[in-house]
Amino acid sequence: MYTANIVDTVIFRSLGKSPNPHLESLRQAVEAAETEVWVPVSIYRELTDSGTEPPVNPYLDDGVAEEWIRVATPLPGNRDDAFESVTDPVAQAQHLADAFLNRQSKYPVTNNWRDASLVALAVRLFEQNVRIRVITHTADQGVARACARIPPEFGYYEIKSRYYNPPQTAKEKFPTIESLRWGGQ
Amino acid sequence: MSYDTEHVRNAGDDPGTITGLPTFTELLTNTNLARLYTAIRHAEAVTGPELVEVVDISKKTVYEYLHRLAQAGLITETGAGTGTSEYEAEDFELQLTIRGIEVSITPELVDVIAHADEYPVIARIRDDHGVVTFALVHDLVKAHSVGDITIRQISTLGDLSNGTVYDLVEALYEILDLGDDDPSPITYTPDEADGSDADLMAELTDQ
Repeated sequence: MYTANIVDTVIFRSLGKSPNPHLESLRQAVEAAETEVWVPVSIYRELTDSGTEPPVNPYLDDGVAEEWIRVATPLPGNRDDAFESVTDPVAQAQHLADAFLNRQSKYPVTNNWRDASLVALAVRLFEQNVRIRVITHTADQGVARACARIPPEFGYYEIKSRYYNPPQTAKEKFPTIESLRWGGQ
Repeated sequence: MSYDTEHVRNAGDDPGTITGLPTFTELLTNTNLARLYTAIRHAEAVTGPELVEVVDISKKTVYEYLHRLAQAGLITETGAGTGTSEYEAEDFELQLTIRGIEVSITPELVDVIAHADEYPVIARIRDDHGVVTFALVHDLVKAHSVGDITIRQISTLGDLSNGTVYDLVEALYEILDLGDDDPSPITYTPDEADGSDADLMAELTDQ
């Protein structure tokens, strides 16, 4: 059974730019846990420094080149599409996560499409792989709840969602074999 | 943007009156003034010479600021007759509504601004986007610590870049000691997720 770990931006921000000991610990933990780190392309772009030519991603590029970080191809959904017209489960999941996050918040409605991409990527990995489990990692409680709550709507229950609070604890608690393994903490 | 302000008022049991609005405003924009007020507030009762020792500000400036804070009603001079003046900070609260969100300007916000030299993101937001925006995102980061909002939602509501908000989140969590005491991550599963018995698909698509 393959375990994929989907990771949010703030976790990489906490770990810092490459190279550093935290990212090296993560690389070793990923190898030992026989897993991979996945990020949606929107999160890859969020962490990219576009002020350089060519743009570089100081958090992810080394891990991508070493093939233990995988950047997913763009997700299919469009936020402007009416939900009723959407048939792709990945896109549906992203719409649901967007609405879920607005329902969880007591503040004015916002565009949560990038937050929702974590949920959509989880559903896509389930759609494309039969023997797979997914663990998500984020420092936003609403996103963490969405990651555990929405994939079961599509029949996928092999998901765990880890929530780091305060966010800076991810620096120590995320790059471990335990956090990356299905049976770990 | 709309502002729905009440009067600035002291928040103690026996409210006095803040008479110097310019000094009150400066408290939010002048890091040294914020540091002095915060030092008094944390000490409860403190003398001028003690303050000169504690804050890294010239003696002349400390006494000038003490005079202005006292005139504005933000601190009270006590100990009259003992030969040594002591100072106590007055609490206050200013409530605003910005972008449909209630925002409070309190001594805690001044405490955060007093850390502007240590965390450049504080001055960057305050100076580039204004004190009210800073107060807004300050409150929203506190809401983030209890799970009421995501970091990207803070960016949208504060009209700030995600990177700036990530920096602010890191700073405020440290200054205000926000977050859980237990540093271990919480793991949610489909069984434990919020409202797992509800028909989420129907509920959300109805919206």
